[in-house]
Amino acid sequence: MRDARLGVDPRLWTGLCCAALLLLLPALLPAPCQAADITLSSRSYLLSYQRDVTGGDDKNYVPLYEYLSADASNLGDMPISFHFYGWGRVDLADDTNDDNGYNGDLGSAYFQYLHPTGNAEMRLGRFFFTEGTAAEIMDGIFLKARTPVGFGLSVFGGVPVERSITATDTGDSIYGGRLFFARSGFTEIGVTYLMENGDFQGDDREMVGGDLWVQPFKGVELSGRASYNVSTSALAQQRYVLRLTSISRLDVAAGYEEYKYKDLFQTALNSAFLSPSIDPNDEAQIVFATVDIEVASGWTVEGGVKAIQHDASDPGDATRVEAGLRHAYNDSKDLCGLSAAIVSADQAENEYQEYRIFGTYSMDVWRFTLDALTQRYKEEISGIKDAYQVVGTAGWQVLPYLKLSGDVTYTRSPRFTEDYAGLVRASLDLGTTTGGK
Amino acid sequence: MMRRKAFALVMGAIALAMFMGCSAISQTESVPPKHPEELAGMRPDCRECHEDVSTGALKPYASFRHSTVFIKQHSMYASQGQNLCASCHAPSFCETCHIRQDELKPSTKMGDRPGRVFQHRGDYVVLHQLDGRLDPGSCFRCHGNKNDTRCQACHR
Repeated sequence: MRDARLGVDPRLWTGLCCAALLLLLPALLPAPCQAADITLSSRSYLLSYQRDVTGGDDKNYVPLYEYLSADASNLGDMPISFHFYGWGRVDLADDTNDDNGYNGDLGSAYFQYLHPTGNAEMRLGRFFFTEGTAAEIMDGIFLKARTPVGFGLSVFGGVPVERSITATDTGDSIYGGRLFFARSGFTEIGVTYLMENGDFQGDDREMVGGDLWVQPFKGVELSGRASYNVSTSALAQQRYVLRLTSISRLDVAAGYEEYKYKDLFQTALNSAFLSPSIDPNDEAQIVFATVDIEVASGWTVEGGVKAIQHDASDPGDATRVEAGLRHAYNDSKDLCGLSAAIVSADQAENEYQEYRIFGTYSMDVWRFTLDALTQRYKEEISGIKDAYQVVGTAGWQVLPYLKLSGDVTYTRSPRFTEDYAGLVRASLDLGTTTGGK
Repeated sequence: MMRRKAFALVMGAIALAMFMGCSAISQTESVPPKHPEELAGMRPDCRECHEDVSTGALKPYASFRHSTVFIKQHSMYASQGQNLCASCHAPSFCETCHIRQDELKPSTKMGDRPGRVFQHRGDYVVLHQLDGRLDPGSCFRCHGNKNDTRCQACHR
């Protein structure tokens, strides 16, 4: 399946030069850029795989991806920061002619002001934000502040950053806000308004939502969200969760969710959520529960159940039951686990089982992982009832800021008879970072 | 029309900023931009150091223990304030999954971190036909109006 290409394609040299430049960045950057306030993170992935092409020869793909993020904080000795995240891809093989072998996206590029009190903040630029029932990516402005009495307000507006596959307008403006009240350790409740001008099934996208978090007793939380679709004049979705955290080694939650297809998916640009792909008159009611118990130091048992009911007989009802075990060892640097999930459904075509086992092993500057997954369908898909995937990786911490690793992935599924894919990963982290990653 | 709305929005934002002013903002300390200490790579448990309520997030630290329960409900907490998330995670952390367009799924990018909880392990192009039929709302959150590049192959 592999095709090692040794030709001197110009794109290959371009890609290699970019990779070399990134690896030499520590030496090239001026000293101030290595100060605590600036961080630079690079993830480079070189993949190699082969795909069948109907009516033609196999095609070889050797894409090189670069994911870059940069953060500069305390600009001008003020709580102002700038954040950037984006990725690009260049295909290094000759026969990858789709989209000229290039693609990429600017994920975010924004200035942020974080006020020292009241969690007040401002963002300006392109960013992802989630506020109440809104979760958007946009080019615009976001402002949020809380008053001393607990009431707060956030407003946002700009141009939506979306990707449409239907070639419709993705909306030329988006704006809204959230009014909320918060009392420390007891409650936070908010109302969100969102308006996006555009062609969403011939209408705008206009939603009013409510969100709630309340802790009536220590270790007992109730949270919920509900969205009302103004364009269709109906409650589109609601979700409520009761969670218990009062017992130190036990975390358990149970909840209910309900949504109506035509009211929730009216705001979709992806045709997968529109008729005829789905029945717009269907509704789903979901009851779910999740539990996480630390049965002994380093040993965690996880479980979950999700019962889905539909108004329509197709797809019908289904229940997913899952359980798993995790074990952290080697001073919590390593982890292994196994899990199983069984989906039973009214219709046999929706039933399957899934089993997974994984483990990691770290030794000095080396780290190895193995991850095996199998899915067994009740009914054949393209004549196949079983799917397998095994991923093996080996990593080498070359320098404190540079790590190299390689993956080999084997897949057998209804799409792939026998598929091997390779990946080489270079991770570069410059600057001082604290906290998690 | 759009320019008028954009102008009104900017003016409204400036008016709000002026109205709120520093004196109208709660004097409760905000969540620090960065966690002061390096955290372990594995799932953190805030309760190892913190016992009370986060003064910035106004919720108990116990709520943010990164158990499987929390990870599956993380959007409920993030939707009432991302600042606490950003204190420990890099600002671009959310965009590992929540992005307009991507080609590599998170489980591929982080194939060397099998302990992470991801939705699309294995050949999910096949399995999504089953999961998507049963609970399309769970797909809609991320793929309803963005990040649908892979959907184009079939859903046109």
